[in-house]
Amino acid sequence: MYRIKKSDIVNIAQELSKEYGIFGPYIDRDAGQVMFDRLDDLSQIDLDAPIPAIPPKHVIYPHSECILKYSYDPTAKKAAIERIHSEKPKALFGLRSCDLEGIRVLDRFFLGQEFVDEFYLANRKKVFIVSNTCVKPFAQCFCACTDSGPSAKEGFDLNLTELGDEYLIEAGSEKGKAFAEKIGLAKAGDEYKDKKKKAIDISLDLFTDFAVENKAWVSRVTNRVTTGFIKEEIWEYIGNQCFECGACTFVCPTCSCFNIEDVNIGSGATERIRSWDSCSYEGYSKMAGDHNPRKPVEDRRNKRFFCKLSYSQSKKYLRPGCVGCGRCAWVCPGDIGLPNVVTYIRREITK
Amino acid sequence: MGRTHECDDACKIVSVPQIATIEEIKDEIVDVKTFYLNIDDKDIASKFNIKSGQFIMCTVFGAGEFAVSLPPSPENDRFHISVRQVGKVTRALHKLQVGDKVGIRGPFGNGFPFEEIKGKNVIYVAGGIGLIPLRSSIVHVLQHRNEFGRIILIYGARTPKDLMYQYNIDEWLKIEGFETYITIDNPVPGWTGETGFVHNLIPKAKIPVENTVAFVCGPPVMFNSVIKVLMDQGLSDDCIISTLERHMKCGIGKCQHCAIGRTLVCTDGPVYTYRQIKTLGEQI
Amino acid sequence: MTYKPGICTFCGNGCGHFLKIVDGRPAGVFPSRNHPVSRGRLCVRGWNIHELLSTPQRLTDAMLRKNGGLIKVSYDEAIAQVVEKLKKFASDSPDALAILASPRSSNEEHYLLMKFARAVLKTNNIGLDSESGHRASLEVLNAGTGFAGMLGSAGAIAGADFLFVLDFDITKQNPILGSELHMARRAGAFMVTLDSRTTQIAKLSDVFMMAKSGSNKVVIAALAKILIDEGLADSAYIQKYTTGFEGFANLLGSLSYDDINTKTGISIEVLKEIARKLVSSRRAMAFYPSGISGLDVETIGFLFNLFLLAGKIGINGSGINPVTGLNNLQGGYDMGVAPDVLPGFQLLEDPKAHAAFAKAWGADIPTKKGRMPYELLSEKSSKLKALVVIDHDEGIVRYADRLKELEYIVYIGAFENPFTEFAHAVLPIASYIESEGTYTNTERRIQLSAKKADPPSGILPGWRLVCELAKKAGASWNYASPADVMNEIAAVTPPYSQVSYEKLRKSFGIQWPCDTQNPNGTEYFSADTSTKKLSFYPVKADYSIPTVSTEFPYQLMIGKAQHFWHQNNLMRLTKIPLREYNTTLLLFPEGYVEISPDDAKSLGVREKWPVMVKSHAGEMKAAVKISGEVRSGTAYIPYFIQETISKFLLEHREVLARGEDATIPVKIEKV
Repeated sequence: MYRIKKSDIVNIAQELSKEYGIFGPYIDRDAGQVMFDRLDDLSQIDLDAPIPAIPPKHVIYPHSECILKYSYDPTAKKAAIERIHSEKPKALFGLRSCDLEGIRVLDRFFLGQEFVDEFYLANRKKVFIVSNTCVKPFAQCFCACTDSGPSAKEGFDLNLTELGDEYLIEAGSEKGKAFAEKIGLAKAGDEYKDKKKKAIDISLDLFTDFAVENKAWVSRVTNRVTTGFIKEEIWEYIGNQCFECGACTFVCPTCSCFNIEDVNIGSGATERIRSWDSCSYEGYSKMAGDHNPRKPVEDRRNKRFFCKLSYSQSKKYLRPGCVGCGRCAWVCPGDIGLPNVVTYIRREITK
Repeated sequence: MGRTHECDDACKIVSVPQIATIEEIKDEIVDVKTFYLNIDDKDIASKFNIKSGQFIMCTVFGAGEFAVSLPPSPENDRFHISVRQVGKVTRALHKLQVGDKVGIRGPFGNGFPFEEIKGKNVIYVAGGIGLIPLRSSIVHVLQHRNEFGRIILIYGARTPKDLMYQYNIDEWLKIEGFETYITIDNPVPGWTGETGFVHNLIPKAKIPVENTVAFVCGPPVMFNSVIKVLMDQGLSDDCIISTLERHMKCGIGKCQHCAIGRTLVCTDGPVYTYRQIKTLGEQI
Repeated sequence: MTYKPGICTFCGNGCGHFLKIVDGRPAGVFPSRNHPVSRGRLCVRGWNIHELLSTPQRLTDAMLRKNGGLIKVSYDEAIAQVVEKLKKFASDSPDALAILASPRSSNEEHYLLMKFARAVLKTNNIGLDSESGHRASLEVLNAGTGFAGMLGSAGAIAGADFLFVLDFDITKQNPILGSELHMARRAGAFMVTLDSRTTQIAKLSDVFMMAKSGSNKVVIAALAKILIDEGLADSAYIQKYTTGFEGFANLLGSLSYDDINTKTGISIEVLKEIARKLVSSRRAMAFYPSGISGLDVETIGFLFNLFLLAGKIGINGSGINPVTGLNNLQGGYDMGVAPDVLPGFQLLEDPKAHAAFAKAWGADIPTKKGRMPYELLSEKSSKLKALVVIDHDEGIVRYADRLKELEYIVYIGAFENPFTEFAHAVLPIASYIESEGTYTNTERRIQLSAKKADPPSGILPGWRLVCELAKKAGASWNYASPADVMNEIAAVTPPYSQVSYEKLRKSFGIQWPCDTQNPNGTEYFSADTSTKKLSFYPVKADYSIPTVSTEFPYQLMIGKAQHFWHQNNLMRLTKIPLREYNTTLLLFPEGYVEISPDDAKSLGVREKWPVMVKSHAGEMKAAVKISGEVRSGTAYIPYFIQETISKFLLEHREVLARGEDATIPVKIEKV
């Protein structure tokens, strides 16, 4: 354990920037919105800013990226395929614990299972993670009931916890420890363990009743979703409110569905572009020809919540698919963010 | 971590397609052609081994990639795919000629459970181009004729012109103990065989029930009615095997387009028993 | 920081977003949570706009048609030929040249193009590529209130307690505004939908009036009649704020209650309940589509009058709100891109306005109002010879035969477009994000879109291209930047008089009128500050509804909305939106006709079976789509470019002109 004066925290980013491109939270000047992105001016990093609107997953799993380039000359019958990948070193600085859990879910999904997703692996390979404990939750947060906060337990290289005018810094990996030693961070004594625990307890107390009370409900609802004991009417009620925009998927730290399209860029060359896709889209499951096994919108909603809240999916992720960041509630035009869905199902259970 | 190699021992081409040459093109029925393919890289080609029931991802350069089932038997068939032109990519494939290149990834998917069905009677029920993914299994079973009981193909299509692999069926009929029942939806002049939907043919075939497995493949409407008849005849749901088709983008269990219930058709399937299908909680 | 704030340029909502630019290329998008219209939401189009903006299918060279083919030439060569030809045709005859502007151009591009037409080419034949819908709205609103735009605001919806959605698949066409309505309803507002077909917003409403097709106007007139007969009309308001009440009240006398019921299929009791809810509400807002799919003047007139009777125009943010489908349709009209109006909806034939512009521009401008390009195209006897088209959408292809007869067609646009087949000259321009410009959304919000990427090498932004054309034609134009153009716009356009780039940069847009009284813009039209009394719109007592005959027993509705998404040509350049757009169409590649299960049974047809749809004037083949979303006796076809349907509909131009609620009597035959 190490510590650093609050005002000196940017020095750590400074040091990291010698080796890594720095990605961190900042407030966009024009739109006043907290974003998480590449920063050249490190003084813009704002560790006190609320959870960024955009989940940092885009850094390692971009909205759209070119994964292959190929060209074909039909006259000469010559084809050439080139794999596009970059393993640029990146430091995610000031990641909130929910977003770290999200990345860990993506890791298990893309790198575990039968095959490794090599394009994800390339983006993920040289990443240094500095997480940041939420010493107070934000309005929409409910990580306390999805076991993903307010402080990260593992998966980071360094974890920051604001304690008064200091940050406590914990190393979570050999890489993190070596870095802390290299830059000569001041050691923190054992008393900091207590201080951190107190800070987390205070944070937990600050969660709204809704977020705390929902804890038991998330697991009861998960049980219902897994066993399928949810009435059709509930899914229909939810489905009627779905605008099929895909927002819930795109802002979800754990959602990973993608589309692949070959885009011709001229002179016989083509780029294979992979981009975020959403199971709420009607065309998502439609097959060439004419068959769509998941036609009604409520079927597609049902599928998404099955993915977030079911035991079989949790087995793949080693945790629930929801990390309690609350972003889906921000962006949903239909008012069916996950917390509301839990509420509707809960209402049915108690009826 | 899972598999990463472009082509490991069992040789799966995972992420970057291998270039293959179209060696021969054969017109099958309307809108369906068979393409005989050879992977250009000799080393990879020699290690590229498929299992009956698997599929590949095929890139048509400049148009895109699509999933396609493998009709050849792994043992002595030439490697080929039979493709109906139905979307943008398959239409582009149909325009290609001998000597043109395509990209190949795979093979992916679980394949048919031959070990488990040894010694049993095998019934194939196919509708239209549903015979394509079953062809591999039929050839395999016929090649190992003595390891199985009765082998029955019950096949239906809209018209006589929509019957796939007729020349193969003629060949197979020469093999002893291979029984075939063929029907077309509506009578047409010159057709002397059965008419009506394929599920109506099942009772006529007097299929065995004990120690029997059925492979079913065809359009969803046909599938559902065939299953019903097979179950009525007394076949149990774990003895009915099907291969499912879904919209696919990656083939390696990541894009999730082919999710069905808690499984992914590309890695958990495409071969499922009807017992499994029933628990997936989605339409077929 | 790869995410740059901006505005979405698909539909008329003007949602706020961040566009991710990697290596000068759009590679992602994210919603803006503080944006007052969208507040963190985007629709399927908005969430995938980077696919459009990064498409390699761009126009990157000026081209001229030589020996039948389009040949790449220098900008200079193309500009020289275009100007020479346009000048010649402009002096040929008043109807020889027309300019079809795009509802997607920026205000600055609109303004300069309009000025180029009037001050340089001396023609008033300029109009927007969106047919008549929004014009009808502006006509009624301007006549009634002097306010030629949406009376309310997106932000006011949350405070409304009565919401009326008319013939509007709003959750598909303008999803974020639809979301706002849905949220208000969940917060307790009473929402009524009137439509002939079940939509998502209908399912989300308290009351869904599934009126017989073609009877919307009668339903609205019936509500007005009930207000008067039941003594529910707000007489104090009518007296204080309005003129023309008696005329309107008298005209409702010829509508009988028996008629209402048989014509609309809606019970009087339901109508009475809605009438009571309307008058007892504090804030009532109506929404209807405006643009390619829109209502006709008469229906809008009745709606306006109904809200006047209820005392719900200009009070507490209540009012009727036309919703534009395209990102700068409102701005186009604001900039005077119409044959008869000048910027700020000042009438061309008003000598004072005319003189003011002639003076400001130091040029003569033709005094006689011009003709709409579409009119000139459709009138077989018109003398149209040359056409300038900017960033065209689908509608114009309906006139393919006529287009082929024209002597000269100029196409100006950023993206590859099938329309270039018709063009003799092609001039490429920068796309939305490659140049600065302002766009005015459906709620009159003027928003600045910053430049975020460079155009393909050598390509000019639209405003610069128009300047080059004008200069080549001899005008001494000298604009340094879009901001400069806006300064001139502000000087000649009263509702924009206090708008400047400086102000716009510091805000999420300003809603006009932005003048000395309202330097920070105006959220909604207020009757109290109106300089004139509100007048009942002079509607006609025509309560007829389309009838069917034994020969043609079905009412065919033409859906211009659901599958149109207002953006055919742009959607074609995307991947995911295109896939979504195509989902239904791929299922029915030959187009479909939607009928009720009962009708399918009596016709003896099943899903996807082919049928012939025949009217007195034409016929087309389509596949059957069976759906509970249409009434028995009605049929619905989507309007998208598909030859048979276009050819069929072309024979029914008079029906299209009647707006979204128009129907064609047809028979349907099994093939």
